[in-house]
Amino acid sequence: MRFADAVEFALTSLRKRRLRTFLTASGVMIGIGALVSMISFGKGMQKNVTAAFETSDLFNTVMVMPGGPGGPSGDGDERVPAAKKAGEAEAGKKDSVLDDAAVAEIAKIRGVRSAYPDISFPALVSLEGEEEFRLVQVVPAAVAGSKTVEVKWGRAYLSNDEEGVIVSRTLVRRLGTTDPAAAVGKTLRVTSVTIDLGRILSLGLEGLLGGKGLPVSQDAHDFPILGVIDVKPFGGGPSPMQNDVLIAPGPAGRIKRLPITSIWDLFRMRGGRLGYSAVSVKIGSLGDLETVKARVRDMGFTTFALADQFAEITKAFYFMDMILAAVGMIAIVVAALGIVNTMVMSILERFREIGIMKAVGAGDGDIRRIFFFESGAIGLAGGVAGCILGWATSLLINRIVNFYLARQGVPFIDYFAFPAWIFLGAVGFSVLVSLVSGIYPARRAARVDPVVALRHD
Amino acid sequence: MSPTAPPLIETRSLSKTYLVGDVRVAALADITLTIPEGSFLAITGASGSGKSTLLNLLGGLDTPSAGTIEVGGALVSAMDREALARYRRFDAGMIFQSFNLVAARTALENVELPLIFAGVEKKERRRRAAELLDQVGLAHRAQHRPPELSGGEQQRVAVARALANGPRLLLADEPTGNLDSRTAREIIGLLAGLNREKNLTVVMVSHEEGLVREYAQKIVRLKDGRIDAAEGTA
Repeated sequence: MRFADAVEFALTSLRKRRLRTFLTASGVMIGIGALVSMISFGKGMQKNVTAAFETSDLFNTVMVMPGGPGGPSGDGDERVPAAKKAGEAEAGKKDSVLDDAAVAEIAKIRGVRSAYPDISFPALVSLEGEEEFRLVQVVPAAVAGSKTVEVKWGRAYLSNDEEGVIVSRTLVRRLGTTDPAAAVGKTLRVTSVTIDLGRILSLGLEGLLGGKGLPVSQDAHDFPILGVIDVKPFGGGPSPMQNDVLIAPGPAGRIKRLPITSIWDLFRMRGGRLGYSAVSVKIGSLGDLETVKARVRDMGFTTFALADQFAEITKAFYFMDMILAAVGMIAIVVAALGIVNTMVMSILERFREIGIMKAVGAGDGDIRRIFFFESGAIGLAGGVAGCILGWATSLLINRIVNFYLARQGVPFIDYFAFPAWIFLGAVGFSVLVSLVSGIYPARRAARVDPVVALRHD
Repeated sequence: MSPTAPPLIETRSLSKTYLVGDVRVAALADITLTIPEGSFLAITGASGSGKSTLLNLLGGLDTPSAGTIEVGGALVSAMDREALARYRRFDAGMIFQSFNLVAARTALENVELPLIFAGVEKKERRRRAAELLDQVGLAHRAQHRPPELSGGEQQRVAVARALANGPRLLLADEPTGNLDSRTAREIIGLLAGLNREKNLTVVMVSHEEGLVREYAQKIVRLKDGRIDAAEGTA
């Protein structure tokens, strides 16, 4: 029997039992649809997160923090032996202070594009009467103008001394200006709070408890809003650029501010000198990552690079994909049982016809192939329809989710990704599952005894 | 046709037993037969005498419990399932009392069936099927489905189908059982004509001895699964 004839036999018989074929294929369609949308959701999440990392320049960033045992933070396993080694080799390095000299030294390491201290301070920001309490981050002009900070409306400050701030769209909205473009040019008042440490010491504990209050003073400065940055989807995580107000080092230096942002800063005091809590180091290419990290550690600091974590993130995504696929698989198993059921029913109905075909010379293989192709065709039709269903469902969910999130100021995001292999894989998988489901019915049909079948009405 | 013609079919001590519950029932016992090529043999007997069982064995639809069947030098009784399928496809055409046409397919498509399993290309098999239908006088009914045909017409389609791959042997199981006497005579006449003109060996099972006697050269009467009598008219 020719291949084309077997296919034609299979299709003819499917067409004759239209409703049942449709229902069985629908089962496959739903299973494959679920699988497709699940996997595309997993892939969409992965794509979005990866893209967010890449555009935010995070892979090229190494965070440098004061090192040594007892430091405020670190990247765990790798840090301790490295710091210990450095400590043994050069005593005193333990007390390295992350100050301007250290930043300058780091900036000179080969492969480093730029290094700037991560400085932020709390301040009350107000715009046209509306007030919010935020962390103000000091960012050099070189970084503010890079792709790390994407100014969507207006512009970034051009020099380290330019008066002006960059604010986030979220903050602008909170401060009552819905159109980010309209905020450009308005004046933002930054009010910082300072405590005179010297006076605290002179007052002593009695003085503090004696109701005289903290020696607090306020310092207000007005800055024009130069630019507004958009909210980035999936921009979360340990990005250095997640604060809502960015300011150049020059004007920042004129603002009196609290030198500490957390209790950890007190432990950072080394010989009376207070270094920066963190320094962001941008490297030219990922190839330089390890050497830069090694050099910085030799200086006695701790490093943290997100690129190191990426393998872990990828692993987590595989795990998520597997869970999503497992949910889709349940539907596939149900659909496969539907195929087996339909095909076995079909054998009973066509018992006599199978007998006739055998009597006129059909071999076991011919009968097996006809039934096999029938279940394969159900799988193919269900698979293709399932891809369309999965795609359409994803599109619909994407619309609805984005509609609701847009009200909360989240920009439009494609939560689903559809690389071509998802569709090809889904159809292939569907056909495979259907063929496997057809094995038992096809064998059973092939074993039909023609004498018994011809006696049967 | 002549008594000196070489045998096409030879059976030796052929028997078939069925297991009904725990009881062995002998449907056929010790059948030794020689059927010359080009002959027209009739098998008669009461119902349950084993004539259909014998025909099914000769047609390769069933396998014997003991004994051998040799057709054209090939040992049919030793064939595996695949070889039997090929034997049915090319060497032994069969027709039945209930015609056994596929109701959903047209007369032409029914005749095409054995050609499909023989792997004949579509155009060629269409042509051959049409030619066969023409031979049995049904060219004008080619596009009709079995339910739209009379009993005699359906049996003619079955004959055309049985001859599709050019077998030397035609086995007919009560081919006139569902037909009125006039149509029955026509069908047997058709088989006799094929036997005469194409040297086709015909083995026909029938309980209508009177009708059979007019056409068959040899009659074998079965009783309780054994050969009761054999008479040759030629």
